[in-house]
Amino acid sequence: MLAVQTARDATPALGPLVSVTDVQKTYFARQGAVQAVASASIDVARGEFVSLLGPSGCGKSTLLMMIAGLERPTGGSILLGGTEVREPRREIGIIFQDATLLPWKSALDNVLFPIRILKLPIEPYRRRARELLAMVGLSDFENKKPSQLSGGMRQRVAICRALIHDPDILLMDEPFSALDAITRDQMNVALSEILETYKKTVIFVTHSIREAAFLSDRVLVMGGRPSTIVLDMKMPFERPRRFEIEETPEFTAVCRKLRLTIEEAHSGAPAHSPSAQSRGARIE
Amino acid sequence: MAASGFPSTGMGTETGAIIAGPQPAKDAGLTRLRSTGLPLGLAAIVLAVWQLAVTLGHIPPVILPSPLSIAKYIYERYDILLMHAVPTTLESAAGFAIATLLGIGLAIIITYSDIAREALYPNLVFFQLIPKIALAPLFIIWLGIGSQSRIAFAVFIAFFPVVISTAAGFASVDKSMLRLCRALTANEWQIFSSVRFPAALPYIFSGMKIAITLAIIGVIIGEFITAQAGLGYLIIFATARADTEISMAAIVVLCICGLLLYGLVALAESIANRFYSAENP
Repeated sequence: MLAVQTARDATPALGPLVSVTDVQKTYFARQGAVQAVASASIDVARGEFVSLLGPSGCGKSTLLMMIAGLERPTGGSILLGGTEVREPRREIGIIFQDATLLPWKSALDNVLFPIRILKLPIEPYRRRARELLAMVGLSDFENKKPSQLSGGMRQRVAICRALIHDPDILLMDEPFSALDAITRDQMNVALSEILETYKKTVIFVTHSIREAAFLSDRVLVMGGRPSTIVLDMKMPFERPRRFEIEETPEFTAVCRKLRLTIEEAHSGAPAHSPSAQSRGARIE
Repeated sequence: MAASGFPSTGMGTETGAIIAGPQPAKDAGLTRLRSTGLPLGLAAIVLAVWQLAVTLGHIPPVILPSPLSIAKYIYERYDILLMHAVPTTLESAAGFAIATLLGIGLAIIITYSDIAREALYPNLVFFQLIPKIALAPLFIIWLGIGSQSRIAFAVFIAFFPVVISTAAGFASVDKSMLRLCRALTANEWQIFSSVRFPAALPYIFSGMKIAITLAIIGVIIGEFITAQAGLGYLIIFATARADTEISMAAIVVLCICGLLLYGLVALAESIANRFYSAENP
């Protein structure tokens, strides 16, 4: 277990901000045990953008929910800033596939929702909420309700809401997968711009190879049956990132490598992962 | 601040098209005229036909009094009608209020306790299958001939739709929204007050609108069985004496009282909508 941690080169002297060690998740249903995650170990350094990439049902969202403290792992440990995650914590901002805004609240009040829940003083945060909305180009829409906003605008409000209480970590669960392809590309650029201003540690779940490659410092491919992390790959692109990088041969080569890894894991061939791919096999 | 980065990505272009332009005013006015004019016109025609049929067909007032004679009676004897309308309206309002509180309370219990839900829900539904009007005389035995038995009976038949629709409203909350709340370390009370309850409001009001009409029915049935006052008592009393005119006048006043109570619920709903509507005012 220790060997896994020290092997990661991305960890600075302080140690990783998020440290997932040999985490497993098994659901016990009436039909028997279903193993969602067989074994996953991830270290995420402060300020790093890590994507969990894989096909639907590979357990990547489950892993994210465990890091959020919304689900309990059935094995292994998750440390956040050195302490074990047992329940949801305020240093996390979370974004789901749907914007999940309160339909009766304005965009501004939706952004302020976490402040109300956390019982922080509203007034000082109102300015920050306006700044965030301006940052994502929604200054003129702060009094509009969600029904008057487009899907992309709603998701931008959700991003502002996740950032309002200045969390250390952003957890994003396929945040753009409900959007059309053009809006999605725009959101990817927008997100990387936001993160240039508000430096955050991000764990990003997606099933889009291009999206993962474009946004991330590191891409972890999840797959196999039962599911493990089969590839941990650094993205060799400069920041700030703009659309142009997607047209480089380098980008194409990275995407190809990711795609081949996913296909290989999906077709049942032995996974690359050096750790624990056989552990859960007997359960299913 | 970083607005400079945004327009370059083309994100601004979609924004203008989202807000629909104002509807043509002429169309809206015409629609409103139609939506109020048509039903009022039809009602007027029906009343006119009724009046003509009674006058030209020489129908005796015992069988069917004419609309004009009913109106005349209401105008002349409004004091008697009002005297009987007051207890009926108050008892209906009391029954409705208790039914609403009881219904919402039960819905909260059903929502938050699995055991309570499993124990209560099938019984509540089974309860619904009883023709509840058949139980009305029992309420007189249990609670006497005073207003408490009528109020209790009104509660008994009115609370069910509130429970069902409120519970459905509490359950209608988006699962991701609940996960978001939990991720933000919200406690149950915060989730209830800021998410579940507002989301359930349209459901609660639709349950309340059914409950108010049922509460009036409950009180009238109670008055049919035994009462010294009230519109139900007046209807039974007048009918027994073959005084159809009084009976019909009492029914008209009852309709007005019902509309009034229903209107209060609708008013409360529109006030709630000011704060909890998905549309901008």
